[in-house]
Amino acid sequence: MSRHTILPGQPLTALYLLHVGSMDARLIGLSVERHWKHSVHLASSLESGRVVLIDCDRPGVEAAFEQLAPHPRTGVVCYAFHPKDHAQRFPNRVILGKPLNLEALPGILAKAAAESARTIAAPPRRIAPAPDKHPVEAAQSIEAPPSHGQGLQTEDERDLCGVMEDLPAAPIGPLPERLFFNPNEYLIGHLQRAIEHAASNGRPHLIAGLPRLIGVRPLPVPACITDFRDNQLRPLSMAQLPPTTARLISASSLTNNGSETVSASEDFLWNVAAWAARGRLPEGTDPYKPVRLRAWPNFTKVFMSPHALRISALWVRTWASPVEIAARLGIPQRYVFSVFSSARFAGLLDSTPPVRPGAIPQPPVSTSASTPTRSAVAEPVTRQQPQRPSILSRILRKLLNAV
Amino acid sequence: MRSERARHNKIIFSGTVGAGKSTAINALSDIPPVSTEALASDDTAKLKKTTTVAMDYGVLNLPDGEKVMLYGTPGQERFSFMWDILSEGGIGLVLLINNANTDPLSDLKGYLGAFKDFIAGTAVTVGVTHMDRAEMPGLDAYRATLAELGHQPVPAVFRVDARSRDDVAMLVKALLYTLNPGLIDA
Ligand SMILES: Nc1nc2c(ncn2[C@@H]2O[C@H](COP(=O)(O)OP(=O)(O)OP(=O)(O)O)[C@@H](O)[C@H]2O)c(=O)[nH]1
Ligand SMILES: [Mg+2]
Repeated sequence: MSRHTILPGQPLTALYLLHVGSMDARLIGLSVERHWKHSVHLASSLESGRVVLIDCDRPGVEAAFEQLAPHPRTGVVCYAFHPKDHAQRFPNRVILGKPLNLEALPGILAKAAAESARTIAAPPRRIAPAPDKHPVEAAQSIEAPPSHGQGLQTEDERDLCGVMEDLPAAPIGPLPERLFFNPNEYLIGHLQRAIEHAASNGRPHLIAGLPRLIGVRPLPVPACITDFRDNQLRPLSMAQLPPTTARLISASSLTNNGSETVSASEDFLWNVAAWAARGRLPEGTDPYKPVRLRAWPNFTKVFMSPHALRISALWVRTWASPVEIAARLGIPQRYVFSVFSSARFAGLLDSTPPVRPGAIPQPPVSTSASTPTRSAVAEPVTRQQPQRPSILSRILRKLLNAV
Repeated sequence: MRSERARHNKIIFSGTVGAGKSTAINALSDIPPVSTEALASDDTAKLKKTTTVAMDYGVLNLPDGEKVMLYGTPGQERFSFMWDILSEGGIGLVLLINNANTDPLSDLKGYLGAFKDFIAGTAVTVGVTHMDRAEMPGLDAYRATLAELGHQPVPAVFRVDARSRDDVAMLVKALLYTLNPGLIDA
């Protein structure tokens, strides 16, 4: 949150939150207050705004656009989980992907406001004329963050593992900075600290300063309590939180009023970490160092990135680096990085290999359950022959495809 | 070693009385499951009104016309003589443990012991049911028990509601990947 993407010489952008949820309003309000004071101010009415923000996923979005009809010179920035799905409904609109990249947003808003202000006698329904360069692209080319779910998304980005290209099979030169995320800048960092504190002093803790409750309790089994709904928790976990936003406080008890959900801490940490990571690794990780999953995550409850099941099946029985696991399974590394990040925070990662890795039993990795063969760590997992899938493959397909 | 053909397209569901074996097979099966339920007698009656005395039987129909049988073993130990017969040639074991029982970890040990040879030649996944009613012990206690008993790598242990098809399907998917992480999933 330290860098602000504003174009040089931009005046203060008057932003009106025309159609956004209360939680987004609070997060944006906080950002304005703490970080964008010199680039954005919140307008109290549509008339006084130079640009408006619209959440396309909220009901009543058509009515919001109706309100804009008499204001052709007001800029419009939309956002949605699946921007492409809305692109046809609202052609010529700037539609950003969720979660909003809060660093890039001021720049995008300023640009949309400026473009629309130049519109003279535009037809009422076509407020944002197609600019030379799409404002999203423009802002991204300034900001150039990795495209972790930001902007017009591709199918790949939707799976929440980003679009990071693979690293070389062996370390060559320094690792790209955008491979990593700093957990302390996300909810996951606060959550991890809360759980550690709760465990060490045996008392529940709250993360204060958020729009809704997130609490942790150490007993009888470590659990997280929240009244954020899942569709709110995900964007919150993805957004960068300034360290000052959230404070840890010790509580004597966590009251249940019935609207909260209680999850095992391990499951909650897994999800919040996956959403912060989006295919990246926590800072300080060596992607070439062998590690192992000490157990399967609880996949009936936790977020499953693509290939997460087979990654887990292999990684519980093999000491291997994230890069190696991806190579053995023939899948993009970002999916393995996603599992790594979640497992690290959920406490499911074993990072001290035994003295002799060969001493670990290496169960069969084979093309058919009927012909188990012992395989070395480095040996790629052989895939089924497509023309003759085994019974295991066929059962799997049935379970994946059937309703 | 058994051949794939002899390994009879059969998945075994076992576990404690009332853990949800009949319910799980019902959730997954493409046919209305056949079950030999009877009015419960003795101690079981305190736990539930009906219990499976012989076995549950369900089917997964594969697109190519092939069938995968889903066999549920009777939960009551006095029928345990059937377990070996039922599991003979099976692909793997889905073990359901009722977390609301008095000592679910000792239940786990008992069942792992009974299916020791079968698991050694195949694989097992563990579904912990009724966790909505009893949150203790947690999954880590199950994993620790499995590790203590020498199950390395530790099999998948999931929190499961036997009434949820997704949960039951997840146990079977994990079982398949445990047998072969290289399976193609698309
Ligand atoms: N609350 C709750 N109920 C469950 C859960 N899983 C299964 N049940 C219920 O538990 C009851 C017992 O399930 P059954 O399927 O009859 O159990 P079973 O393993 O076949 O029992 P036996 O045949 O007697 O060995 C049913 O009413 C299920 O709906 C769960 O996770 N939570
Ligand atoms: Mg039954």
